[in-house]
Amino acid sequence: MAGFVLRTHHLTKRYGRLTAVDDLTLDVPAGEVFGFLGPNGAGKSTTIRMLLGLARPTAGHASIAGVDAADTARAHRHLAYVPADVALWPRLTGAEILHLLAATGPGTDLGYRDELIGRFELDTSKPARTYSTGNRQKIALVAAFATRAPLLIMDEPTSGLDPLMEREFRTAVREARDRGQTVFLSSHQLAEVEAVCDRVGILRAGRLVEVASVPQLRALHRAEVTVAYTGAAPALDAVPGIDGLADGGDGRLRFALTGPPAPALRALAGAEVTAFTVREPSLEEMFLDYYGAEQGR
Amino acid sequence: MTAATPVVHPAPGRAVTGLATRQVRRGGLIVLGLAAGMPALVTGTYASVMADPAAAASLDAIATNPAIRTLFGTPYALDTAGGFTVWRIGTVLAVIIGVWSALATTRVTRGEEDAGRWDVLLAGRVPPRAALARHLAVIASVPAGAGAAVAAVLWVAGGPDRTGALVHGAGLAALGLFAVAAAGLAAQVFPARAPATGTVIAVLGAGLLIRMAGDGMTGLGWLRWLSPFGLIGLSTPYHHNALLPVLILMAAAGLVAATAVAAAGRRDVGGGLVAVATSRAPRPWGLTGVGAFAVRRAAAPVVAWSAGILAYFLLIGMTAVSVTEFLADNTVFADTAAQAGFAGLHTVTGFTATIFALLAVPVGAFAAVRMAAYAAAETDRRLTLIAAGPLARLRLLGAEAGVTAGGALVLVSVAAAATWAGVAATGGGLPLGDALAGTFNTLPIVALSLGAAVLALGAAPRLTALAGALPATGGFLWKVTADSIGAPDWVVGLSPFAHLAPVPLASADWTATGAMVMIAVALSAVGAVAYRRRDLAG
Ligand SMILES: Nc1ncnc2c1ncn2[C@@H]1O[C@H](COP(=O)(O)OP(=O)(O)OP(=O)(O)O)[C@@H](O)[C@H]1O
Ligand SMILES: [Mg+2]
Repeated sequence: MAGFVLRTHHLTKRYGRLTAVDDLTLDVPAGEVFGFLGPNGAGKSTTIRMLLGLARPTAGHASIAGVDAADTARAHRHLAYVPADVALWPRLTGAEILHLLAATGPGTDLGYRDELIGRFELDTSKPARTYSTGNRQKIALVAAFATRAPLLIMDEPTSGLDPLMEREFRTAVREARDRGQTVFLSSHQLAEVEAVCDRVGILRAGRLVEVASVPQLRALHRAEVTVAYTGAAPALDAVPGIDGLADGGDGRLRFALTGPPAPALRALAGAEVTAFTVREPSLEEMFLDYYGAEQGR
Repeated sequence: MTAATPVVHPAPGRAVTGLATRQVRRGGLIVLGLAAGMPALVTGTYASVMADPAAAASLDAIATNPAIRTLFGTPYALDTAGGFTVWRIGTVLAVIIGVWSALATTRVTRGEEDAGRWDVLLAGRVPPRAALARHLAVIASVPAGAGAAVAAVLWVAGGPDRTGALVHGAGLAALGLFAVAAAGLAAQVFPARAPATGTVIAVLGAGLLIRMAGDGMTGLGWLRWLSPFGLIGLSTPYHHNALLPVLILMAAAGLVAATAVAAAGRRDVGGGLVAVATSRAPRPWGLTGVGAFAVRRAAAPVVAWSAGILAYFLLIGMTAVSVTEFLADNTVFADTAAQAGFAGLHTVTGFTATIFALLAVPVGAFAAVRMAAYAAAETDRRLTLIAAGPLARLRLLGAEAGVTAGGALVLVSVAAAATWAGVAATGGGLPLGDALAGTFNTLPIVALSLGAAVLALGAAPRLTALAGALPATGGFLWKVTADSIGAPDWVVGLSPFAHLAPVPLASADWTATGAMVMIAVALSAVGAVAYRRRDLAG
């Protein structure tokens, strides 16, 4: 248990014949920013709702800071939540809602909350029914970031934010991590995940298909290498890890490289290489690799 | 790829009509069932009830009794099955049809707009006016059908005067149409469902009070021309068969509906004709915790329900003295009233005891509506952020149910105080303690309503309002119908109202009270367990 803020053990949720989350086992250590990825309907929100005790697992178990997730009175002392689709009490103003959430939540740093209200440019004197989608989301974000809860669970928290606010969000996530808070972030904004997450888990059709750090993921994926040379072309045909070799005929070679680069570098050592560029795949490309061809469900 | 031809639906309006139909189908069928079933039962058993000459004689005497007139309206032609049915269940049916029409209208128009679903609907080819008109037309078909059903039943079984059947059916339909129109207009004026519903229910309630004052107090009869309920009373089915009041009501409904449709084109979708403040200073009361917040949300509804109950029971209190004096002077009436099951009407305590039993209907409905509002907060996800706080789920439910019970206590206290004040103002004597005993005596039925609502919240949250209304409203209808058809005791006894002692005329029936409270506790406990185990919606 030591060090893990969030644990799931064979967590499963079935809706009739549909298995929304299938045997999910996952540990997130304290202080980590964990990205939770997957296509629409993969089971991300369902997993989060089970972590929060809002949905009851069909099988398996989830715990927050060592407390059973179903024991919400105790487990929720350690977490704050930003839902995917924020609904607010329409007649309360933003300030009143923040007041209410501070009273019912796990404890709030009021000074930091006021600072966040300024940074997110939130007008809290308006009734919630007049808020735009992004402003509703900001209320939930401010309320969550202002807590000192060790775990922040966020389900697509930035889907309605503009680029400036998105930048504020990333800053707030980093500040949370610097304070030692753990962030569990489900998102479709892959650039954001790449920028803030230490580790990502990829869910497909309810099953966890990969859990790794972003650099580790990269190592598993193909980098695109371009080599310029003078003289004889380097012999790369039989080198392991090299794929899709294309000779432009103009002294340039392009290929995709998977796995450790040492064999390729050794093969290149014999040639007169004048330029060498490696383009690493973006998280988006890796993500599409996972889903592009063999879409489940 | 081949070029696809887009499919253009030839009649987008019909799709809107279909949408509206789906949303009112279930409730509409229940209303139609009651509209056909209740008169069918009452007319079907009329002959056997009247076979007893004593019963027939006492009914005749009751016709002139002002207490009965205040409660049930002026009776006519009690010697025909139709006239008897109109008098006995006409007002009840009018209330059912009117209230359902009003609630359904604000729900599927303003309620859907509140939820943001009309943004999508009106992005299509159907303009706002047409969308509203189609919704109103669909809902209006329910009261129209209910009126037709009543007319058809009375035509067959109501006796030889078939015009009376048509007049009564038309009157009920007109009342429902007026309710639909008024609710449609309120939904254009107010930018949220709660004030729209509150306003139209207040209009209908005021109409009922005006009808009661007009029927019960001599010299005020003209007031009835101002009230939808008064107008259908003035049509006097099976007596004068006057069509003019019904036509006036229909014309009023048409005018109001036309205004509503015109207004629909003049406002923003999601907005109303009255503006909402776009910015205001925080009002921090009632935000310090789950319980405080439940109190804050219940405060405005409690005030509104209290106002309605206050007006009704003040009126009852003020009529009590004159009504009972009349009866005390006419021992014949008092005796026949007692024979007909209205014992003790010649004393203020007896009269008020009969009326206090009715209190369980609105207070039970209050409990059902509050728990349904809690269920709605869950389904439209407002509850999620609070449920993510460090509290047990049962704490949330407990706060809501506790505050609702507290609100019910306020309502029954208001009823007692209003009755007491009304009686005192007209020179009568009803001790406040007696009044409180009488109104508190209805609390077990309110507890049953709350328990049934909690059970539904745990097991089938969509049915919360319906289940909560069953013990009080359903039980009341059951008792009225069962009494009217002379049903056997065990059938009458299925209604909790059959087990209510006439407090303050008699002392409370503690056995029945204890049993009802225990059933209520059991329902709540099962509901709480189910609520704890299930997934929260949203
Ligand atoms: N209450 C429910 N009843 C039945 N099926 C459900 C329910 N909630 C979710 N599902 C199904 O479970 C699956 C997972 O849904 P979930 O909302 O977890 O997906 P997600 O990964 O969050 O998708 P998105 O990226 O679109 O938010 C979907 O197939 C969904 O239809
Ligand atoms: Mg989701």
